[in-house]
Amino acid sequence: MSATFEGYRRADGTVGVRNHVLILSVTGLTGPTARRIGRCVPGARVITTQYGSGLLGDDARLHERALTAFGCHPNVAAVVVVGATPPLVERIAQDIGATGRAVEALVFDACEHDAITMTERGVRTAARMLREASRLRRSRADFSELFLGMECGRSDPTSGLVSNPLVGTVVDALVAAGGRAVFGETVEWLGAEHLLTARARDARVAHDIEQAVLRRERAAIDAGMDLLGNNPGPTNIAAGLTTIEEKSLGSIAKGGRAPIRGVIEIADRVPGPGLYLMDAPAYAPESVGGLVASGAQIVLFTTGVGNSFVSGIAPTIKICANPVATRRLGEQLDFDASDVFERRATLEEAAQRLQGLMLEVASGMLTWGEILDEGEDVVSRLGPAL
Amino acid sequence: MSWHATALAQEDNVATLLQPVAAGETVRVKRTDGVIEVRANEAVALCHKIALADLKPGDAVIKYGECIGEATAPITRGSWVHIHNVRSRRAQA
Repeated sequence: MSATFEGYRRADGTVGVRNHVLILSVTGLTGPTARRIGRCVPGARVITTQYGSGLLGDDARLHERALTAFGCHPNVAAVVVVGATPPLVERIAQDIGATGRAVEALVFDACEHDAITMTERGVRTAARMLREASRLRRSRADFSELFLGMECGRSDPTSGLVSNPLVGTVVDALVAAGGRAVFGETVEWLGAEHLLTARARDARVAHDIEQAVLRRERAAIDAGMDLLGNNPGPTNIAAGLTTIEEKSLGSIAKGGRAPIRGVIEIADRVPGPGLYLMDAPAYAPESVGGLVASGAQIVLFTTGVGNSFVSGIAPTIKICANPVATRRLGEQLDFDASDVFERRATLEEAAQRLQGLMLEVASGMLTWGEILDEGEDVVSRLGPAL
Repeated sequence: MSWHATALAQEDNVATLLQPVAAGETVRVKRTDGVIEVRANEAVALCHKIALADLKPGDAVIKYGECIGEATAPITRGSWVHIHNVRSRRAQA
């Protein structure tokens, strides 16, 4: 019998591992109001953006795509969309409503630009949504209905030796069962791209991988920067990582060994089951934001020396194999793999345990990041604004 | 038999330390074909790399069976291998 978890079945066919009511601010002007609504309704989650009408072209499209995706996320039951002006707010609210989720749009223009009026309406709306959402119950779902995002942050050599291969083993099991998985951090494919292209489904995907790596490499060269000191950064270097190639070869292990079905843009939905790459920045808030916007219900996040960043709507499981860090960060790291590093357990044993923890988290067990409210969901930026 | 360092691929010319070592200590390195011994020329920290072979400037440094950069100075077997004697081959202007 295959593994199962208890999740929330949504009208659009997805399965949530959480049941969040979301206050989604889609313009920079309404961020403070969204946070105030969130403080008045403590069970709700808040996502904000700093940006708005100055965004151009691909940047504007990314912004709308990612914010809409947060609202349509499997872990979200209902959404209060707040924004300054109607067209964007209405488009996003309409797209969220089309998935069957409860949605209400609040626009500053309709509140005479009075933040207190908008707060009052938002609090009442969010409170009602929370009450309704609390009536939903979990039901049995198959392991294969999971969609994992994989991330690494503040890596050290234990990440490449243990934590990332461990995550890769769980990803292989999920992909073999028919599930979905995605990882990004394109700059951390440098030096390992030949291993990724060798797993590409076809020549087109291999070409996309090569081009994505070349664009990031060229961006670093054009900016006149040496990756040493940036990626690997000072923390990575102090921990023993010497070059981007060394970091990349460890980093890609979190994607396991399955064929790569395609390369998607940041915050794009994956088209089907299997393993995908996301061409995206490596910095954790931007990267995790992209993975969650693509629909990942859970993030498996490896670290070497500790990294407290998590998603606010997708439970983020922190995995670490560095024995010094696991002793120090007992209320940050959800999974201790230091026994593998210290040769007291095998990778396969640890992978079984990690898969068990993941299914428990999928069924409702809280991560440290959720308990301590470390979460944030960020939309990356691409270029200049008006 | 226990070991202090690991090299995951047969062609690796560096190993990662699973515990810190002092200068002069004998390091047992787990390789795919068994355990070899290397004398540490200097203290090397946990998770840092030690050379398993003599390298000259320009030589590829191999870990995971892949090139992780090139030596920028002569490196003798048993020496600490890091940013003071290795550089990336990527994103170089």
